Amino acid sequence: MTALLKVDRINAFYGAAHILHNLSLEVRAGERVALIGRNGVGKTTVVNTLLGLARLGEGQIRFRDSEIRKPRPYLAAQHSIVVVPQGRRIIANLTVEENLVLGAATGRKGPWTVPEIYKLFPILQERAHTPGTALSGGQQQMLAVGRALMANPSLILLDEPTEGLAPVIVDQLATIFNRVADQGTALLLIEQNMSLVVRVAHRYLAMAKGAVVASGEVNNSRDGLKDLEAHIMV
Amino acid sequence: MLTINLFNGLVYGTLLIVMCSGLALIYGLRRVVNFAHGSLYMLGAYIGYSVAAHADFWVALFVAPAVMAAIGVVLDRYGFRLLQDRDPLTVVLVTFGLLLVIEDFVQTVWGKSNLSLATPDALNFAVNLFGTQVPAYRIGVIVVGAAVALGLSLWLRFSRYGLFVRAASTDPTTTSMQGVNTDALSAGVVGLGTALAGLAGVVSAPFMSLSPSMSADVIIDSFVVVVIGGLGSLAGAFIAAMVLGMVQAVGAVYLPDASVLLPFVLMVAILIWRPAGFAGSRT
Repeated sequence: MTALLKVDRINAFYGAAHILHNLSLEVRAGERVALIGRNGVGKTTVVNTLLGLARLGEGQIRFRDSEIRKPRPYLAAQHSIVVVPQGRRIIANLTVEENLVLGAATGRKGPWTVPEIYKLFPILQERAHTPGTALSGGQQQMLAVGRALMANPSLILLDEPTEGLAPVIVDQLATIFNRVADQGTALLLIEQNMSLVVRVAHRYLAMAKGAVVASGEVNNSRDGLKDLEAHIMV
Repeated sequence: MLTINLFNGLVYGTLLIVMCSGLALIYGLRRVVNFAHGSLYMLGAYIGYSVAAHADFWVALFVAPAVMAAIGVVLDRYGFRLLQDRDPLTVVLVTFGLLLVIEDFVQTVWGKSNLSLATPDALNFAVNLFGTQVPAYRIGVIVVGAAVALGLSLWLRFSRYGLFVRAASTDPTTTSMQGVNTDALSAGVVGLGTALAGLAGVVSAPFMSLSPSMSADVIIDSFVVVVIGGLGSLAGAFIAAMVLGMVQAVGAVYLPDASVLLPFVLMVAILIWRPAGFAGSRT
């Protein structure tokens, strides 16, 4: 299978602070990978480095077959890799529908269109012409996921997508993530909610101190859940 | 007397709309307060003057904004892009320095004397407006200003790139994460904004004399408009430009001794009432 994203021994920095240390990971077409770890281990910095928001030192990033020497936020989307960012980052001065249309900025054709997103999240159609930031937290997360799907991506990076959401919304999102993955879109799920990880991911990478320290198959059982939770215990 | 002053206020207001659209767009996307915008207006007027001298006014009307657009793109690449995350004082100093460089360039190329550009023959006649004869050219200026305001509004509201500009003016990083090359977008918008400054310069040339100090007069009013309208807001700038034009027109009739102060009195009053301006958000 093609590697959609390959990160090879990267080091990343915020100013002088050295956050990622020789971190490597790979996500292949159709895979469902979870990147787990405690707060502050550098999970979001991985995303920020891919987007050029954290300074890349040594190491190599490849989007499909292209080496990305100078990451920029738009390059990932242009290589069919989109991010659902932590905190959702809905554009405040755009309506719900405009936020969705913005997600199709690359113009890549595929199954996901505004009507398809509305079928997936009917509430977004009801609120189509209200400002995106007027939605509830759960609805904003649906909008962020819908916006990412509008790019018809090969890989979606989901950065803590269930943070602060009610369990019922988390259940809905887990179903949606599985449905999206079933249609062939690869997922890199960055999460601390291990019950979501066992429901969605097939493989995990555990981080500590800016590096991947463990990896394996996700065991969808009570013992598997306990094993994963051990990686995020303080 | 009042009719002709109101008409002139309308003309000046529409000229400010063309001028301030660029200023508001550039601030909206780059967060750069461009003190050199007035000198770009002046440069556009002088380029228009030279083109008109070798061809005619109508050619100048297209060539000067096109040249200014190219200057704007270069300015964004090697200036504003580097300034966008710098502290405001640095931005002020650099753009003010640019203003001085452009003024000196204009003096070197075109001299210090006042120049004038003839009104194009096609619009060199008078029109009866409510019993007052007004120059047709100035009606043409109003048409240009209205077309710019309408065109920009429709472009921002309904076009794909207009959507990108609106999104990037609020959150450039998230917009870029959707695949929009915001650096290229900003270069295009600064080019457009600079072209509009050039267009305002060419359009104003037949009824305002060209001089190396012409930028100072208009840039102060432009900043008043942009601040009153709400920094970065195009709709706010449109309203503020018309209000300012009218206040100056009425002030010239009823408070001639204080008319110079009126824009600033207006600005203070509106900022007390609405600290973020007509359409700005208080962030």
